[in-house]
Amino acid sequence: MPMTKKVHEDQRYATALLNNDAALINEIYKKCAGKVKSFVLFNNGNADDAADIFQEALVDIYNQAKYKNLELTCPFEPFLLLVCKRKWLNELKKRLIIPVTKNEEDLLHIGEDTFEQAEVLAQQREQSALFLKAFEKLGERCKEIIRWSMKGEAQEKVAETLGVTYGYLRKKKSECMASLVKLIDRKND
Amino acid sequence: MTEDKILWTAQYVEGDLNEAERLEFENLLTHDEELKQYLADYYDIHSSLELELADDACRNALVGTLQDLNREHFTTEQNKVVKLSSYLRWVSGVAAVLVLGMLIWAPWKGDLYEQFNAAPQMNVAERGAEKTDLDEAATLFNGKKYNEAKVALAKLNCADPQNAMVAYYYGVSLMETNEVAKGRLLLEDLFKGESVYKYDAAYAVAMSYLKEDKKADTKFWLEKIPDSAVQYEKAQQLLKKL
Repeated sequence: MPMTKKVHEDQRYATALLNNDAALINEIYKKCAGKVKSFVLFNNGNADDAADIFQEALVDIYNQAKYKNLELTCPFEPFLLLVCKRKWLNELKKRLIIPVTKNEEDLLHIGEDTFEQAEVLAQQREQSALFLKAFEKLGERCKEIIRWSMKGEAQEKVAETLGVTYGYLRKKKSECMASLVKLIDRKND
Repeated sequence: MTEDKILWTAQYVEGDLNEAERLEFENLLTHDEELKQYLADYYDIHSSLELELADDACRNALVGTLQDLNREHFTTEQNKVVKLSSYLRWVSGVAAVLVLGMLIWAPWKGDLYEQFNAAPQMNVAERGAEKTDLDEAATLFNGKKYNEAKVALAKLNCADPQNAMVAYYYGVSLMETNEVAKGRLLLEDLFKGESVYKYDAAYAVAMSYLKEDKKADTKFWLEKIPDSAVQYEKAQQLLKKL
């Protein structure tokens, strides 16, 4: 993502997700939930489908904000709507249903920034799923070490839990992570 | 050489290089484009895995908030109305009353739970005139408004997962509001730690099993409480009755 672009003031909605700020999150629902619901209902879904899609999209945005330094360069509402629409169209594809709405037809008024931002989100989501698959192929010990050190606890504590020294944990983790990077590298070639 | 650079990058990020090696790496980094790319890729892969594998208390709290809001914004009224014939309605009405009665009376549970589960009180030292989020949570918790307390405590727990007091009362609120499994997990973690809430947590987990009339599990947790703990007397009394 180009770093020169200005961060949009709607970044506050991403921050609200990070802080679990119920009042501001409720504002997101008030603005967008109805629209997502009618889109899904119009396209062979029900209210529960719409709720699932909506929740998933917001958690994705949370993840991107927390782990991938999301910087919103477009307004939040069209961004969220676009993410939800794409998610639902993908879901329909999985269910082998042809959507009523033609793909991007009703999205013509959406800015290029928004498309770009939604694209980055989708790519990162796909990528981390791919990395996780590669991770699953590692040996048991490596998986254990990486899983524990990713939990978010202090690494000294992780070493203690695993019954190894902090130095050994660092050594083993770098070896395991290097194996993982090589696994991923080979796949992309 | 390529593979060495990958390992080298990992060692650099994980702090597994000595001072001289680290300087050498950073020096090379200023002009080696390939190494720069490896470093960027490493951070990318690392953060993606964190995203997938982190035990993210804030994310869990967020999902709780979203589920509440989903109920409010996505439920359609028609879904809720189920038509019943008048006979069925009558029968199910009687059945419902019976079930409710049994639940309140609960002859299988005896009164041990009522006797031994003294609802804990959350004591927050008053520091000033201004009411903090913690005071707010304590008021809700002590007023037995566990559903609301749970939301407030989830937020506090998310901001400061190391705070044992918050974790304890959050765990109890979860168990009081039908999120027993989640509450137990939290309290079991607390028990594994060394905070002053260690044995409060064990006792609360025992209570959650007593409520379900699982005597073996109740005993298992009560027996973890040593005679140096304040809960010891109560635990022993209850053990005798089980």
